[in-house]
Amino acid sequence: MQIKVQTDGSSRKQVLISSILFMGLGHILYLKEYVKGVFYALIEVCMLLCSPMIMSKLINLVTLGNSQPNLPVKQRDNSIFMLIDGVIILAVICVFIAIYIISVRSALKSYEEYCIFGWLKNEKNIISDTAQKAFPILALAPTVGLVLFFVVVPLIFSACVAFTNYAAPDHIPPNNTVDWVGFANFKAMFVGGTAWSTGFVRVAIWTLVWGALATFTCYFGGMIMAVSLNQSKLKLAPVFRTIFILPYAVPAVVSMLVWNNLLNGSFGVVNRTLIALNITSAGVPWLSNAWLAKFVCVLINLWAGFPYFMLLITGSMTAISADIYEAAKIDGANQFQIFKKMILPIVLYQTTPLIIMSFTHNINNFGAIFFLTNGYPVVADSTTTGAGGTDILVTWIYKLTVNLLKYNYAAVLAIVIFVVLAPFAIYNFRNTKAYKDGEM
Amino acid sequence: MNSKVIKNINLAFILSFLMLTSLFVIYPLIYIVSGAFAPGNSIATLSIIPFGDGITLKHFEDLFSKTDYVQWFKNTLFIAVCTSLATVIVSSLGAYVFSRFQFTLKKSMMMTMLILQIFPSFVGMVAIYVILLRIGGLDTLWGLILVYLAGNIPYNTWMVKSYMDTIPKSLDEAARIDGASHFKTFRTIILPVARPIIIFLGISSFTAPWMDYIFPKMVLRSSSKQTLALGLYSSFLTEKKNEFTTFAAGALLIAIPFIIFFVLMQKTMMTSMGGAAVKE
Repeated sequence: MQIKVQTDGSSRKQVLISSILFMGLGHILYLKEYVKGVFYALIEVCMLLCSPMIMSKLINLVTLGNSQPNLPVKQRDNSIFMLIDGVIILAVICVFIAIYIISVRSALKSYEEYCIFGWLKNEKNIISDTAQKAFPILALAPTVGLVLFFVVVPLIFSACVAFTNYAAPDHIPPNNTVDWVGFANFKAMFVGGTAWSTGFVRVAIWTLVWGALATFTCYFGGMIMAVSLNQSKLKLAPVFRTIFILPYAVPAVVSMLVWNNLLNGSFGVVNRTLIALNITSAGVPWLSNAWLAKFVCVLINLWAGFPYFMLLITGSMTAISADIYEAAKIDGANQFQIFKKMILPIVLYQTTPLIIMSFTHNINNFGAIFFLTNGYPVVADSTTTGAGGTDILVTWIYKLTVNLLKYNYAAVLAIVIFVVLAPFAIYNFRNTKAYKDGEM
Repeated sequence: MNSKVIKNINLAFILSFLMLTSLFVIYPLIYIVSGAFAPGNSIATLSIIPFGDGITLKHFEDLFSKTDYVQWFKNTLFIAVCTSLATVIVSSLGAYVFSRFQFTLKKSMMMTMLILQIFPSFVGMVAIYVILLRIGGLDTLWGLILVYLAGNIPYNTWMVKSYMDTIPKSLDEAARIDGASHFKTFRTIILPVARPIIIFLGISSFTAPWMDYIFPKMVLRSSSKQTLALGLYSSFLTEKKNEFTTFAAGALLIAIPFIIFFVLMQKTMMTSMGGAAVKE
């Protein structure tokens, strides 16, 4: 069975071709690496055995099933299962191709080593060697597996749904099938003066404004607190700091729901207090006036969000060396100048990636909106779109998915979020030390 | 003399500013406490003066006798501990590989992870539901743990990887020369040095399940399997009824351990947050 191979590198082609022909063939025929070769070959055999199933799943992915109104509901084609299975199969095929490439590379590498050393390694060496080489693969396997099947597959599925008509009332499996519709959903969302497109523009603008305002207020709120606690040299500073981290410690669901109750228009504690103190005669519509509700969202988010930046900026300020302060003082700078010319630039420089991260976090800040206002109050287009005056894109996605069952429009919005936020994520990536040092 | 007056005015100004902010910060928290002990059920009957109606322990008794509160607490604790442990193990192993090995698809994998973490995980809700249905993970605690774990990985692997990049490579090379395997190097050299970030990771993934509402609502159906956030919200604050006081009692019991923990840990968190973030 063993075929002689040359040590001068001339057999490289044979090894390459045999490895490509069938996974593991090169290992068995030329390199005496039987365990490894059989392992690879088994993977390919499994794939080949499954290939009829794979083909039918892929065909289902393209057709998404036929409507069979005559069959009982349970036996009808379920387009959504087909779509998800199709995406999973695609993921499995990607993994298979990756293993294939790894196997060809490992065969070539073994052959190159053979050319250099002039003899083939025995099986025992190979196994202990493989255990070391396999470490990165084994250690990364759970990460890749989980992310692939619980993050990537669902997201690709959701991206696919944006191009289908998966929505109530006419296209909800298992009663009905779902079909590919191209860009129809995008047209409905972006073009024309329908309730959907006006609703979309309104929500998208508010989402961006909200993201910017929420980040800005929390960052500078946190900075003001950090600076006044740090600079004033108060003996009480630790007490105040402890009070100020309380909002960060209380779970957000709890604090937002409590605020929601306190600010309730008719029977909330805030309004009853204001009336009892004779400040207003009637209740202030904190959460039922669209503009006031938006203001309240930003304000309450400031309440919940400034402690994080306060801690962060305090940490970054204490890291500034005391020499710099001394030098500035000797040069005659006053407190304000020291802050403006030195502390602010250093802190800003160090925390820029975090400001950007906080912005992307706020764009997706589901809890702050959903539990505080539930997206309300109702505005002109709410009856059709389900989006209230304070809804941001993510809370709207949630409502479209859970309440209205308009999965296709929800998917379009998810793609919009991706398009808006991806550049920020990539910008942060390019600014990481590892990227700048050219390690990757 | 003059400068002393200015200094005092300054101090008084800062002090009153801090006092006012403290008032704003504590305001809702006072009503959680007073609501938890107040007689009556809804927010409408709650006295505007904290503790104005006297004190009762009825709501706490109700929580323990009439609802599954203890069970919810156990479930949430179980989910939080498992998620935290699993996240630490999987993310730190993955981060070690990304930080120390060179391989073909490394750059594109890192990029994918980075882009993935910008999506809130519930965007893929429908698909996650179906996948859990297929593997029998619906209405089970491990199904929910799996979802949390997968959602945690992309961002946290990045964070830990950035930290590990700052650990000198000579440390693990020395261990390798002494004959330690990759795993042994990871366990005995890298993990101890990366302890601050590992602790931060453990804490942040431990606290998240206590506050989440969407996934428990999707995955868990039976009342005996619910988590605290879901149970409290869906039992006491629905569109139909407002039992603010019982909700406050339940919320207070979760908030207290968190507050104690955060207050005790504030120094550690400050340095580890600063370190974790700024080092990027």
